[in-house]
Amino acid sequence: MEKTKPRWIAIIIALLVFTGAGLSRISFNVDILKLLPTHLPQVKGLSLFLKHFSQPKELIVTVEAPTSELAESTADALADAFSKHPDLVQRAVARAPWEKRPADLSELLAFLVLNQPPEKIRALVNSLSPEQADATLKSSVEKLGESISPQEVALLSYDPYNVAGALGDLGSFAGTAQQSEFSSADGTFRVLYVVSAHNFPNYKAAIAWVNQIKQIAHATVTDSAIHLGFTGEPAFVADISGSMEWDMTSSGFVTLLVIALIFYLCYRRARPLMELQAMLVLIFTLSLAAAGLFLSQLTVIGVGCAAIMIGLSVDYGYFVYQRSLHHRGTVGELQRQCVQNIAWTSGTTAAVFFALNFSSLPGLSQLGNLVGIGVVFGAIVMLTIYARLTMRFHRSQEGRPPSIIERLFVTPGFWRKGAILTAVIVFFLLGVLAVKGLPQPDFSARTLRPRKSEAYVALDRLYARLTDDRDMLSLVVAGKDEAEVLKRLRLAENSLSAAEARGEVKSFRTALPLWPAVGNQRANLPLLAPLAKEIPRLRERAVAAGFKDEAFVLDEAIFQQWAAWANVPTPLWPTNDTSRWIFRRVASHEGDQLLALGMVTPMPGHEDALTAAVQSEGTWLVSWNQLGRELRHVIPCEFGHVIMALSAIVILLLIIAFRSIRAVALFVLTTALVLACLAGAMSLLGMGWNFFNLAALLLLLGTGTDYSILLLLAMKRNGGDAPAAQRELGLVICLCAFSASAGFGTISWANHIGLASLGQTCALGLVLDALISLFLLPRVWAWIHPHARAVEEMPR
Amino acid sequence: MRSLLPFLCLFCAWPALAAEPLDMTPVKKWLAKQEDLHSVQADFTQTRALRALRSPIATPGHMWFGMPDSLRWELGEPAKTIVIRKGDTYYLIQPARKRAERYKADSIAKKGGAMGFAMINFPIAKDFADFNRQFETLSVTVTDDHCHLEILPRDAQAKKMLQAIKFDFDTTTGHLLSFEMATRDGSSMRSDFTNVRMNQKIDRHVFDYDFTGYEVVDGKN
Repeated sequence: MEKTKPRWIAIIIALLVFTGAGLSRISFNVDILKLLPTHLPQVKGLSLFLKHFSQPKELIVTVEAPTSELAESTADALADAFSKHPDLVQRAVARAPWEKRPADLSELLAFLVLNQPPEKIRALVNSLSPEQADATLKSSVEKLGESISPQEVALLSYDPYNVAGALGDLGSFAGTAQQSEFSSADGTFRVLYVVSAHNFPNYKAAIAWVNQIKQIAHATVTDSAIHLGFTGEPAFVADISGSMEWDMTSSGFVTLLVIALIFYLCYRRARPLMELQAMLVLIFTLSLAAAGLFLSQLTVIGVGCAAIMIGLSVDYGYFVYQRSLHHRGTVGELQRQCVQNIAWTSGTTAAVFFALNFSSLPGLSQLGNLVGIGVVFGAIVMLTIYARLTMRFHRSQEGRPPSIIERLFVTPGFWRKGAILTAVIVFFLLGVLAVKGLPQPDFSARTLRPRKSEAYVALDRLYARLTDDRDMLSLVVAGKDEAEVLKRLRLAENSLSAAEARGEVKSFRTALPLWPAVGNQRANLPLLAPLAKEIPRLRERAVAAGFKDEAFVLDEAIFQQWAAWANVPTPLWPTNDTSRWIFRRVASHEGDQLLALGMVTPMPGHEDALTAAVQSEGTWLVSWNQLGRELRHVIPCEFGHVIMALSAIVILLLIIAFRSIRAVALFVLTTALVLACLAGAMSLLGMGWNFFNLAALLLLLGTGTDYSILLLLAMKRNGGDAPAAQRELGLVICLCAFSASAGFGTISWANHIGLASLGQTCALGLVLDALISLFLLPRVWAWIHPHARAVEEMPR
Repeated sequence: MRSLLPFLCLFCAWPALAAEPLDMTPVKKWLAKQEDLHSVQADFTQTRALRALRSPIATPGHMWFGMPDSLRWELGEPAKTIVIRKGDTYYLIQPARKRAERYKADSIAKKGGAMGFAMINFPIAKDFADFNRQFETLSVTVTDDHCHLEILPRDAQAKKMLQAIKFDFDTTTGHLLSFEMATRDGSSMRSDFTNVRMNQKIDRHVFDYDFTGYEVVDGKN
């Protein structure tokens, strides 16, 4: 005792440190792409897109009002209100930066012209020469008098030397000029971009910041006719992480409650129940701490594992408790009796789940690691601590009569009726499967999103009122430097032009006009920089041609910008706030990798061909819809391979455990029947296969099979006496199945659609597995083993 | 690219408009007269007073309109810019560049691109109800047989750019005398019509154009 006490104290301290360190590192990753295979082109392209172009600090606030004037004034008022909180908001932008500071645009225009081919620049410089300047101005005045395009008139009014003319056809700009990222066409829908003053260290900080912004917004806008929406990266993190946290804690809590209820109904014992609950909390905490320490961030699948871990770990607790009821020996003897069964079941389960690391799906690997860790902790805790506690309890409670449910499970009539009912259910579900066929696959983006999310609602409104780009494809072009990206952009532009000519593309826009052409910059700067010295002459000629002084301001600023760049090393990028705003969704040039973005509107039905035609090294054509299509092709194969591999592992382990081909064949038959009935039930309920509930098959393979393994081991232990095995394990397996189903059932109501479908599928599958294993498997065993049937018919 | 949007908004400023009860009778009569309209031909002088220029630019032009949807609008002598409408298609033609842009009438209307063509939309409304649906009336002033009408489109995009659209018409004959678009930066485009001939036969070939040798592209509206 003197020696063990310090040892226990040391163990407890170590566990506390381990738990504290692990739990403090828990964080969520709401990026659905983290669940998917990184080798898929769509995943790779979308990941790059999100890494470089998502705005993690930018909240999008939408304003919908009955009139455009009210929407505009509300947006301005909100921007002012946010700007009064510099501790929270770095900037709040309600209208294009150039509306306030049009002069800032001179830098962008100077940059765009600088990238043009040198022959165009030579022509431009020539048009500004003392001999040509008057003719250039005369041409501009004529165009101002004759152009029917207000855009051209507006531009030429402030660009008398037609410097922008070097950029080519102005008509192409007119279309995009109608679009706005700040206002709908009718002006009743406005958008503000609110950037946080700080980075978010974790999801809780994002939630707190979004809530503060919402409070300010609702305090500023009191008119009930005005509807506000909040979306963008921080809103999604707040919404999804918040719901993930809630799903995780609520499903874990409800599972514990259901387990408590089931246990109490069966055994009518309060103390072992409390102890079992304490063990489950301990296992859950330890597993979560291990996940925090050893895994990076928890994804949405990992969140679902909390309830599953509890549902699985309790199996070992039930088993230990059931065996302890009739055990009269020492704790060590009980542990030795239980270890074989628990080792085989937890071993196969953990092996199956850890083997998911061989999958190319990171989401599945995380699921496997989390459940594997939980199962190992569950087995250790139940064998080492709970066995000791149950024995102590039974010693003080000897002679207590069994409960009604315990007595029910030893009644032969219960097993007969159960077998008939199960057979009816099985035939019915197989009939449904024959008539309705297999469940339909659904790999659309729908299953990747939460059921309820304010951020998604606001985003949908944004799509409906501003620009709906969901049918568009994003062109992502990456490279190690500007020249490489430019080369790839030109290739992509050529491919897209060819596709447009073939009728596969409705329209497209690449970042090519905005991307720096380093060679052109080097060749053009020596021609353009000296123009700054000509400013007095050029201004004088413009005034003489009929322009006011103010008409020359833009051109003057452009000439000065070229002079300022004369001694700056190329490649040159525009750097002022207005330029950064424009480039933030088009080009990324900070860091090791450079990226350019474009948008392509495909003709319906040509998406796959177009994606294949444009895709090349460093170039992707991606969209969430396209990702769904790719997953539909890849995921079933991937899961097929993983399931085959895991089945092989399980069968190999069972051959070692059973040393009987018949037993293994029975196991395979049972599992196949369970899967067929599950497919029938899913078809009946109108459920489809998706990325998440395909993972349910793996869970079933790892957990549901425990029931048949336990039954087969018990029958082997009882010399082939199936009813004896049923009496021994019937109640335990029922408890396990109901508890695990409760665990999965609680995530059926999860906010995440995919996660909920995983819960529903698993709960259904486990119930079917338990029914078939408990009621039909022993019957088939007895039928193929005549000796066993004889044992059953013997009087008891 | 969208990056050039700001250059196009240099004229923008914000309005402070007040509405007063107006006697719309002359407008109703004018629009009613247009219901009997089959064709119009006229010469005009377009005067552009731009904020960036020290003095206005005057350019002569001609127009032909045939019900329901045929139009030819020429600006300059010889014509530097020609707009032809046939059915639901507009052609913006630049003879000097041997280039034409093709636009669908409904897409122009939908995307606010009608701004450029607004000066030549004729008649401006089918009836008074249509007129009220499209425009907000700012003022109506009648002097003898001359009415001066100022309106503003209800379209939010157009409203941002425009301060007023002004018409002068003869209350007796219904002839349009002048048409002016005033933008919010203080610039204006005014067309003064002369030699107006209503409901006279127009050679249908006026609305045709020989595009041989032209580059005809779909306008990006």
